[in-house]
Amino acid sequence: MTSALPPDPEQATPEAAPSASGAPVAGVVLLLAGAALLWQAVTTGIDNGVTLGGPTLAPIVVTGLWVAVALGYLLEAVRKRAVAGEAAGLTTWRTPLLLLVALVCYAVVLKYTVLGYVLATAVFVLVAARLLSTRPVREVIVRDLATAVALSLGIYLVFTRLLGIVLPAGVLPL
Amino acid sequence: MNSFMDLMAGFGTVLTPVNLLYAAIGVTIGTLVGVLPGIGPALTIALLLPVALRLDDPTGTLIMFAGIYAGAMYGGSTTSILLNTPGESASVATSIEGYQMARRGRARTALATAAIGSFVAGTISTILLAFVATPMAKLAVTFRASDYFALAVLAMVTVTAMVGASLVRGLMSLTFGLFLGLIGLDSLTGQARFTFGVPELLDGVDIVTIIVGLFAIGETLFIASRLRDLPAHVTPLEPAGKGFAWLSRADWSRSWRPWLRGTALGFPFGALPSGGAEIPTFVSYTLEKRRSKHPEEWGNGAIEGVAGPEAANNASFSGVLVPLLTLGIPTSATAAVMLAAFGYFDLAPGPQLFEKSPEIVWGLIASLFVGNVMLLALNLPMIRVWVKVLQIPRPLLYTGILVFATLGVYAVSGSIVDVFIAFTIGVIAVFMRRYEFPIAPVILGVILGPMMEIQFRRALLLSDNDLTIFVRRPLTLILLLLAVAALGLPHLPKLIARLRGRESAKRLAFSDED
Repeated sequence: MTSALPPDPEQATPEAAPSASGAPVAGVVLLLAGAALLWQAVTTGIDNGVTLGGPTLAPIVVTGLWVAVALGYLLEAVRKRAVAGEAAGLTTWRTPLLLLVALVCYAVVLKYTVLGYVLATAVFVLVAARLLSTRPVREVIVRDLATAVALSLGIYLVFTRLLGIVLPAGVLPL
Repeated sequence: MNSFMDLMAGFGTVLTPVNLLYAAIGVTIGTLVGVLPGIGPALTIALLLPVALRLDDPTGTLIMFAGIYAGAMYGGSTTSILLNTPGESASVATSIEGYQMARRGRARTALATAAIGSFVAGTISTILLAFVATPMAKLAVTFRASDYFALAVLAMVTVTAMVGASLVRGLMSLTFGLFLGLIGLDSLTGQARFTFGVPELLDGVDIVTIIVGLFAIGETLFIASRLRDLPAHVTPLEPAGKGFAWLSRADWSRSWRPWLRGTALGFPFGALPSGGAEIPTFVSYTLEKRRSKHPEEWGNGAIEGVAGPEAANNASFSGVLVPLLTLGIPTSATAAVMLAAFGYFDLAPGPQLFEKSPEIVWGLIASLFVGNVMLLALNLPMIRVWVKVLQIPRPLLYTGILVFATLGVYAVSGSIVDVFIAFTIGVIAVFMRRYEFPIAPVILGVILGPMMEIQFRRALLLSDNDLTIFVRRPLTLILLLLAVAALGLPHLPKLIARLRGRESAKRLAFSDED
């Protein structure tokens, strides 16, 4: 969302990463989301009637507050762009995106394929550890493999044998 | 005297092999997650909730959860001292002087004053808790629906105003939490709200899903975006020196007053809805700095700067239990999860709990004394084990967190929709971290929002839709006025923002230097 923005030359300090002007964009997104939710709350309220003790009041109050606070945040962000809080040193969006893709794949594989918990988890551990690591593969591959096997098997056995929580066994003869 | 008898009965509950085992497991896990960066007590308790339900032992489970909370407070200090990366927000103040001590070869001294201070504070504040609990519960019996509504408002407003550097951002987080709490069927009329046609949303979004998303997924994805700035260097422990428990005579004499002052600050701040341990630790840090006879040492490893905040953060934990047990009002994220845990067991904290299940309440309180002793043993002689834990490679640690997070949501609900909701909340949490929106108000909004709405509607029902009920009852009015006053309490957050600014500036300087 923010990576598309050009860096602001005036505040391009080393600790305030390339896209320090993202806060107003975040404010606009918040405001739009709040407005959409408020719209839904109000139309529901009109359809069903709004009473003090009824179920339609709280959604209107909460989303109304959302819009008001988002507006306040947006104004603050625009007025003092440099001051608006932003965690320093955000370096890349690539790793978190890939990690998210890996997570989604992991969940889908668990649910919709017969691979089973142990294999899916072992593969996920290898992939995620690789994404999060800054060292070359050959230095850490043995360690990562050992962790992948131990973690996936360990969790599977503890949960299915000791705690009685069902996990998909899959293709492995467990 | 009555409280004393109750407490003795509580010890009777705790001192059984099974419950001692729960306490031991709790404090060990708590220390572990306190030591490990990226995983805190709220997430741990949320992940353990489904497992705990299987065990079907509310007393044991709650003893374990209290142990996790207390253990995380101890463990957090180890990370801040040896790594200069606070394990959780309550340890930020400790890291300022603690890391300086470690760099100058006084790591053991810092760890010892933190652990013994935590023990002293934990014990004193638990005694206070034991004696305050019964009168508070008696007082709470007189609370009506309108009072509970006002109390929930007060708790939300103060936590929001006090956590984080900006009121607007805190309010935004709170509003997001309130919105998440609205999703699902209305509990009184069964009308669907914000379900967007997704049947899985009818039951609402489970607190476990929300916490896993906010903490586990959000934290890991955020870390992934800035992998290269992670400090990975653990300061080595120096060989054990002379003196009792690694503290020289001078260290003892400089530590005990900050311990007591820290306790005196931590307990009331924990009991007030101020967001747990963050405020008292910083207040204690500032107080000790101002009173210090060795101003030249500050910034170079002053022992008082570790002793005070560490005592304050452990004392605040007992303080947090006062409103949680007597009123059912959580004042920190972890307390909110513990409240959810009570709910899972169909227990409602509050005055009734003291009457109906005294063995749970007093067993829990007594377990804190036992847990404190265990924690002292875990954290002093066994410190080398925790130093080893600190050396777990970060990629594997965060991968493990993701695996357990997915397991916690998926294996239990079996619903992939819940997993995707957790991922979505995680992505939102990354942006929240990016733009420095505090996380704790979200969780309090989720827990307190529905409570607030129900009490509001109940109060109106009892008064025939007469809104003046909220201003006619003096107690309600006072609580609501306090909430308004809390909004205009900018001094503490400013103070903290200033301290934080200084501290982060210092940290930046180090990363350049190291």
